[in-house]
Amino acid sequence: MPYLGSEDTVRELRRHLSNPNVQSDPLRYRSSILKVIRAMSQGVDVAGLFSEMVKACATVDIVQKKLVYVFLCSYATLNPELSLLVINTLRKDCQDPNPMVRSLALRNMVNLRLPSLAEYVEQPLSAGLRDRAACVRRVAVLGWAKLHNLQPASEIDAAVVNELYGLLRDPDPVVMVNCLRALEEILKEEGGMAINKPITHHLLNRLGQLDVWGQCEVLRVLQRYRPQSESELFDILSLLDASLVSPHPPVMAATLSLFLVLCPDLPAVSFAALERVRGPLLAACGSASRETRFTALCHIQLLLRSLPGLMGAHYKRFFCGYAEPAYIKQRKMQVLVELVNDDNVAMLLDELRGYCTDVNADTAQAAISAIGERAATSHTRCTDPVTSHSAATDRCPPLSSAVVQTMRDLVWVCPQCSDTVCSALEGCEETLQDSQGRQALLWLLAVHGERVRSAPYTLEGFIDGVRGEASPGVKMELLTTTMRLFVCRPAETQDMLGRLLHHCIEEETDMCVRDQALLYYRLLRCGMEETRRVLGGRRSEPSLGVLIGRPAEPISQWASSFNTLEPLKQGAGETETTGRASPQHVTFDLDSDLSDTLNSGGFSFSPAGVQAPPLTLSLSPALSPEEFERLWTQRRLDYVCLEERIRCPAVPHCSPQSLQAAMQLVNIQTLAFTAAHASPWRVYLYTHAQQAAQEEVKVTLKQRPRDEKALQGFLSILTAVLHTLPFNTH
Amino acid sequence: MTGSCKVLICRNYKGDVDMAEIDRFLPLLMQHEEEGLLCPVLSHGKVHFMWIKHSNLYLVSTTNKNSNASLVYSFLYKIVEVFTEYFKELEEESIQDNFVVVYELLDELMDFGFPQTTDSKILQEYITQEGAKLEVGKSKVPTTVTNAVSWRSEGIKYKKNEVFIDVIESINVLVNANGSVMSSDIVGSIKLKTMLSGMPELRLGLNDRVLFGLTGRDKGKTVVMEDVKFHQCVRLSRFDSDRTISFIPPDGESELMSYRINTHVKPLIWIESVIEKFSHSRVEIMVKAKGQFKKQSVANNVEVRVPVPSDADSPKFKTSTGQAKYVPEKNMVVWTIKSFPGGKEFLMRAHFGLPSVENNELEGKPPVTVKFEIPYFTVSGIQVRYMKIIEKSGYQALPWVRYITQSGDYQLRTNV
Repeated sequence: MPYLGSEDTVRELRRHLSNPNVQSDPLRYRSSILKVIRAMSQGVDVAGLFSEMVKACATVDIVQKKLVYVFLCSYATLNPELSLLVINTLRKDCQDPNPMVRSLALRNMVNLRLPSLAEYVEQPLSAGLRDRAACVRRVAVLGWAKLHNLQPASEIDAAVVNELYGLLRDPDPVVMVNCLRALEEILKEEGGMAINKPITHHLLNRLGQLDVWGQCEVLRVLQRYRPQSESELFDILSLLDASLVSPHPPVMAATLSLFLVLCPDLPAVSFAALERVRGPLLAACGSASRETRFTALCHIQLLLRSLPGLMGAHYKRFFCGYAEPAYIKQRKMQVLVELVNDDNVAMLLDELRGYCTDVNADTAQAAISAIGERAATSHTRCTDPVTSHSAATDRCPPLSSAVVQTMRDLVWVCPQCSDTVCSALEGCEETLQDSQGRQALLWLLAVHGERVRSAPYTLEGFIDGVRGEASPGVKMELLTTTMRLFVCRPAETQDMLGRLLHHCIEEETDMCVRDQALLYYRLLRCGMEETRRVLGGRRSEPSLGVLIGRPAEPISQWASSFNTLEPLKQGAGETETTGRASPQHVTFDLDSDLSDTLNSGGFSFSPAGVQAPPLTLSLSPALSPEEFERLWTQRRLDYVCLEERIRCPAVPHCSPQSLQAAMQLVNIQTLAFTAAHASPWRVYLYTHAQQAAQEEVKVTLKQRPRDEKALQGFLSILTAVLHTLPFNTH
Repeated sequence: MTGSCKVLICRNYKGDVDMAEIDRFLPLLMQHEEEGLLCPVLSHGKVHFMWIKHSNLYLVSTTNKNSNASLVYSFLYKIVEVFTEYFKELEEESIQDNFVVVYELLDELMDFGFPQTTDSKILQEYITQEGAKLEVGKSKVPTTVTNAVSWRSEGIKYKKNEVFIDVIESINVLVNANGSVMSSDIVGSIKLKTMLSGMPELRLGLNDRVLFGLTGRDKGKTVVMEDVKFHQCVRLSRFDSDRTISFIPPDGESELMSYRINTHVKPLIWIESVIEKFSHSRVEIMVKAKGQFKKQSVANNVEVRVPVPSDADSPKFKTSTGQAKYVPEKNMVVWTIKSFPGGKEFLMRAHFGLPSVENNELEGKPPVTVKFEIPYFTVSGIQVRYMKIIEKSGYQALPWVRYITQSGDYQLRTNV
């Protein structure tokens, strides 16, 4: 029925409504109105009935009134003139002895959302604030907020604002909370309502009487309050203690959020609060509603950023049930990965292994990369499950692709496990469906080709199918792999290399692939020695890959986004970037060493006696490694470059991890390291970048825009950090 | 919205999100579902959709702020709760049949984007299903809206004064394929059905073991409960000071308290399963169920659900007791045992044929799940010692207590 006969429907309804016989019979009249509303909710445009419905509004029947108001509020903006007719009825209803009628009229008067009616509405609203019945006051208070929302430009009378402040002491809790909400809305421009000591204490004292929604509202508003003294702060905190362990997750989260905001300078208190909410948080993770569970998990992830040990003993609570939706499983896995320690590693790996065969391909992939991530940071025994699964999951193409990619990441960060991986590669001849997986496989063959017996055969398969290959990335990877394999196993690969080069140079349409093939061709003409030197390039270094053991972040980093929508969105993005992209493998050795270009651009700067000016660094916006590289290599005039020497005997002895942790404390992002024993040893930093040599540190900085004061400040911070480094930690 | 995302009913409380935005929800939902990235928050531009699904309905809230997610979800669930109390079942038909009440409720539940009256007991006082009857000018202000005791109205009368107390505990267990218990906990609740006149004052006494555990004073032989929730009627200050649970009960059915105990419980029904799959020919299943609870107790309506491959056919069963049935649409065998005494052991064997052509679809490893109910027994050992009922008029009232332990999320993983 919806759209087709809508005109007929409207005509029919109009006939009914204007029929005097129907009008005189209340029951029939009401049922006709019901039909109108039903048609409206079914999507029929019944705006044409406006004038008939306005008449129907004058009735004693409350249900009919409500229905008519629903109609009027939906269509009032289309008929501002006719709506003026309603206002009289509404104003009359505001005088009705029945408080239900009064509140109904008052609410809908504002809900019409017509700025032109404002002048008629103000008087009843003011009267409503002083009404005997609480339900009318509730509506009136919010009514002012709606009115302000309607015409944000016009000032709300100061007297009304005062009255609203006064109503904070209303005996009815909902009136009080609505007052808070209304004041926040009206005074939005001034940064919300004034929160002083008496108001704060009054609100805190009444917290117990409020429902869940009210408590959350109060707790949120109180975040702006700054206690005048420490003893007052602790008074407030002890008052809040009960709601910190509230069984209602929203209240608990709101209280925690308030705790974190109130005491940014007292980390001990914040940590104690986090310990305290562990129970309720875990309970929320087991709650019946999936969405609550999901929200709790996202927030736990946030907490773990600062307190990695918080949930350590409770890892079993994050095991996935069979029927849980994928989004929960993936979050749980992310949490599980964070919780691994020496005691539970076997158990956790076993569990993660179970997830690898999940029906949902994404979940299974997430599980595999979770295992890989774990393997990279802690234990070589993690490789076993990955490799054993490569065999088990051959049936499902996206899975084995994930396995191969994980193995690639793994080999790069911990070369000691390459033997296991190589033996697994022997069996891996299944065709991989996606280009990512094929690239990873090729890369593995290139690096460990001499140890995988079947490497040339696998490669041959690729080269035979090169015509059908769509992805230029795979083709380029294939070129490099064949070249590298040729260097170490020339007899087996010479023929196929020739075929591949011929194809790429003569037939390939993609410029990049063709150029690379030409480059290799010319390289080969330079002789074997030269080729070996170029292709032999960098091997993986344990310290260059994924940075190990993320240091704990300060709470203030995420406190402001706690208990909002943000953490729910955040994690999802994170999985995408950390999950599959692995930039350190994609760039390859042929481009001239990046650092050579870096050195040439700097000029010197005298370090003499730098005082510490007040400079604060912040990590945001964070920079991706690629972006950093682009900025760094691009030499533009608005950059300031300088080189700086800082004596720091500790640097050569300390591990990249501890340096990174130290840098993180002062908000300097560590982007990459060179090999641990390479000389000069370089560390690429964001905010700025730095280069270190034995015994003394040479710093090359680039900055935009030029600001010497800030530069000096940065240097002094850096110097201070370097001097705090412990000796011989490596 | 209906399952196919047709908008059934909508309210725009604040007017800051365009009503047309909701049309973007379905494509977003479909897109994410396809990519397997379905998530309870979906975004389009500045608008975020937070949604829950209840039976075949979607409840979607839209916001363009960085709002408090947990609050929004609890509100959506609250709506479900209120609607369910009104219509018994919340589904497409019940919304369409009762859209008048739904509009009224939506009006009261929230105003200008802020939750208002959400207690269904209070709402039922002045928004009634009998709205269809005509009651001109009769509607009175419910006293509860301003009453001190907001959950109970005055002047309730019963001929026979009785209280029924149900102590219900459900056990969640996750057992690994090699037979070790990965996690287990107990979720308990005390439910009341109050049929008492006037404004009675009730006092509930629990056994000491539990009470001490509740307050966490003695860590010895007590049960440590976490996540204890009381109905709003319980005087928490009294409980904190002298551990008595005293309250004026809401009329009719309500949940007085709920709790969770996170201890290592022995799975009450232990399942050992051997599932042998011979590709292209057959599947042999052997399941042994053992009752690991007191001999005096009996588990009722036990259902052991064993997964079978989706392409299995020609089932054959042999059971030492009870009945086994193949449920092809759920890919499982359901073995039903009407009564299962403690300490006993039963056996079920099943045989399935497999087609010679292998099924290429990837199948997960669904666990064996068990459903059961053990009356007159609680795992935690919680007991109601007494229930005192005091009312001004001094009538005699009888309390009745019932204990039930049932299965919650009871999963045992299989090795196939």
